[in-house]
Parts: sequence; C-alpha cells; structure tokens
Amino acid sequence: MRQIMTIIQNESLVKESIANSNSIITSIWFWISLVEFLIIIFFIIKLLKKKNNLAFSDLSKEQLKKAQSTNVDMDNLMNSINGSKELYKTLSKTCHPDRFINSDKQNLAENIFQEISKNKRNYNKLIALKQRAINELNINL
Amino acid sequence: MWYKIIEIREWFGEMAERYRLVKDFNRAAKNAFISGNAPTLLEAKITRGDSSYRHNFSKWMGGGFRIKALSGRPLPKHELIEIGRVVLDNEELTRRMISLGWDTLEVHANEGYLGAKWALKDFANIGGFLN
Repeated sequence: MRQIMTIIQNESLVKESIANSNSIITSIWFWISLVEFLIIIFFIIKLLKKKNNLAFSDLSKEQLKKAQSTNVDMDNLMNSINGSKELYKTLSKTCHPDRFINSDKQNLAENIFQEISKNKRNYNKLIALKQRAINELNINL
Repeated sequence: MWYKIIEIREWFGEMAERYRLVKDFNRAAKNAFISGNAPTLLEAKITRGDSSYRHNFSKWMGGGFRIKALSGRPLPKHELIEIGRVVLDNEELTRRMISLGWDTLEVHANEGYLGAKWALKDFANIGGFLN
C-alpha cells in the first residue's frame, strides 16, 4: 500500500515537472517570436523611410505616366552615336561666327552656332541645321 | 481589391514596356550595323545596376541598363563616354528610362576591363523630368 502511494506521488511529481518545463518552453518561443516580429517591423519602417528619402519621391503618378508615354527615335539615337561627332565638328568649323564678322550674316551665324552647340549629340537636328546653314549662310558643305 | 488588380496590371505593362525599349534599342543597333552606319554592334540588356544610384522608381534587381559594344577590341574610355553621353543627352530616352525603373546606365566593350557608368537621376533635370 505504501509502495503504491509513493508511486502515485512520484507520478504526480513527474507530471508537474513536465507541465512546468512546457510552460517555460512556450514562454521562450513566445519571446523569440516577439523579438523577431519587432525586428521585422523595424526593417519595414526603415525601408519605407529610405524609399521616401530617395530621389523623385515627390513626383506624382501622372507625371510618371506622361514620361513613360514619350516616344524615342532609336534610329536617330544610333545615328547620333555613330555620326554626330563628325557632323558636329564639320558644322562648328564651317558655321563659326568668327567667319562672318562684319557681315550681315553674323547674327544668323551666331544663332545657328548656338543651336549646333545645343544639339551637339542629336544627329537629326544637326542634319536640319546643316540644311539651314546651306540655305541661309550659303555655305558649301 | 480593384485597385490592387489595376496595380498588378500596371506592373505587367511596365515590365513589357521595359523589354520593348531594350528590344527597340537592339533592333536599331542591328539595323545600323547591317547598313554599315555603325562600325560596332551595340547590345543592350537589363542588369542589377548600382544600389547607390537608386531612386524612387528603381526596379528591384533590374535597375541597370547595360550597353555592350561588340567591338572585338578594348574601347578607349572617351569612346565609351561618348556612347553614354549620347544616350544621356537624349531627353526623351533619359526621362523614359527613369520612369520605367532604370537608375544606372552602364557602357562597356566585350573586350578589356574598362567600363563607364552614370546615375540617371543626375541627368533628370537636364532632361526636364521635373518640369
């Protein structure tokens, strides 16, 4: 009878200790998950703050869509990469305002030269300016 | 809910637009090379880009627009810079690249170790993007 009593007592002690250890384990996991959650929140806030500090954060969606809808002439771009440098050199030499000092075309030459410098790397515009120079300044190119 | 669906549709539209721009560039480069206008064939592709050049519309892992010159020889720095400057001086293209999520322009040849890169946001004002 006594032996049975001690066995029952031991059993209850074991049960109690298991229950205690379970609650400790759950509490540890609870704190770990809480810390992880806080770290995630911290990084999300940091990311959002960083995004707000980036360039163009003040631009609206409409402005963005407007920029997206612009057309780009890729053939002109390729011509500009390959031929604009040579054309610019030729035009800047032949249309230089110093060549038209004390003539009635000096102002016109200055105007054309400014346009040439402005569109230094735009092949199509340089071609149009070349034509203008031929017609208005009577240059042989 | 509808707002989310529209956003997803816009995202796919933007991605398609990005690939269309790269395809257009490569087509024009190929035509210029075949017709003899260009001495070197240029090839564009999307890369990761430089994280320090990021702006508000930068695409994650796809902010770089890389132009590779298939010249077969190392290109000198001034030639690489000239290619990059032509792209950056094109107002419409710079504006469009920024709005489609590119933040870095990279230019290099298929030979040699030289390369050049620019932050597109530095050229946005020149391109009149803010106005």
